[in-house]
Amino acid sequence: MFLYNKKLQYPVKIARPNPRLASIIISQYGGPDGELGASLRYLSQRYSMPFDEQKGLLTDIGVEELGHLEMIGAIIHQLTRNLKDKDIENSPLAPYFVDHTVGVYPTAASGFPYSAASMQVKGDPIADLCEDLGAEQKARVTYDNILRLSDDPDVNDVIKFLREREVVHFQRFGESLQQLREKLNQKNVYCMNPSMDL
Amino acid sequence: MDYRKSEQMSCKMGKLPSKAPLANPYVPFQMENPARYDARKGLIRGTLYPGLDLPFRGMVNTKEKPPTPKNELQAIGFALNELALYLDTHPCDSEALELYRSYQKKYHDMMMKYSEDCKPLTHANPVNHKSYTWLSDPWPWEYAANKEG
Repeated sequence: MFLYNKKLQYPVKIARPNPRLASIIISQYGGPDGELGASLRYLSQRYSMPFDEQKGLLTDIGVEELGHLEMIGAIIHQLTRNLKDKDIENSPLAPYFVDHTVGVYPTAASGFPYSAASMQVKGDPIADLCEDLGAEQKARVTYDNILRLSDDPDVNDVIKFLREREVVHFQRFGESLQQLREKLNQKNVYCMNPSMDL
Repeated sequence: MDYRKSEQMSCKMGKLPSKAPLANPYVPFQMENPARYDARKGLIRGTLYPGLDLPFRGMVNTKEKPPTPKNELQAIGFALNELALYLDTHPCDSEALELYRSYQKKYHDMMMKYSEDCKPLTHANPVNHKSYTWLSDPWPWEYAANKEG
């Protein structure tokens, strides 16, 4: 089960509200490579993993991603606090605002609402761990792109932290994939699906 | 020069044996007992491991968070989480396991102290107060809850 911890993984302290940045960063809440998709992907993939090492890693990283989802929610919430109508009127947040006011809704920056079609649970551990490697890289690039577009030091402080976590997760998924392969047929790791046939 | 030949020559990892298993994605394993930052530096860098600290365009956090009780708890909790992921793929690194256990103890002691101060982290934390304190301080996502740090 899950037990809520009443703290963030990393402090989010944004002095200046900024609707333009909120309209970009919302993508890491509900976009194709965002934290909602990440946590849902890993916490769902773990059931069909054949060995404890991968079950453990997917659980631990999946839970950490839920913490990142909360941090992105905190960024959006703080970037949109105390806004006046005129602050929103001429900002790129206006189309989001008309649908969600300043509530935090899982959507991509491009306006597409969160879709589980942006992730997969294939039920084969090699295929799923390869997806996870790709997912971490795509999330890293999204954070790179946010850093390109943001000059707010309070926002960037948190984004740099989240971006670095993607690099660490990529490393761990790669190691876990290697450990999985070592337990399979060394001549042909594709000779069966370890989720089904072990 | 033949393209494939020049690629082989520039490959710093050396050549594979001729019958090595191909068509496999590969990430080099992190060596055991790698160099580590302390918990406070690890928190602002987003990793405990200098070898994995790979910033974009040289953009790095350099200023450590002030040592408030909450920030200290975050730093120790972060180190614990980072070591857990490391141990998930390096369960036999006894030095990392020892450090993980020492951070567990630190985290537990700090959490108990923090919650006695009427700030429960979970519903399972005992609190020294007559009234229900779960609702009483700012929520973690609010600016007010983070402004000291």
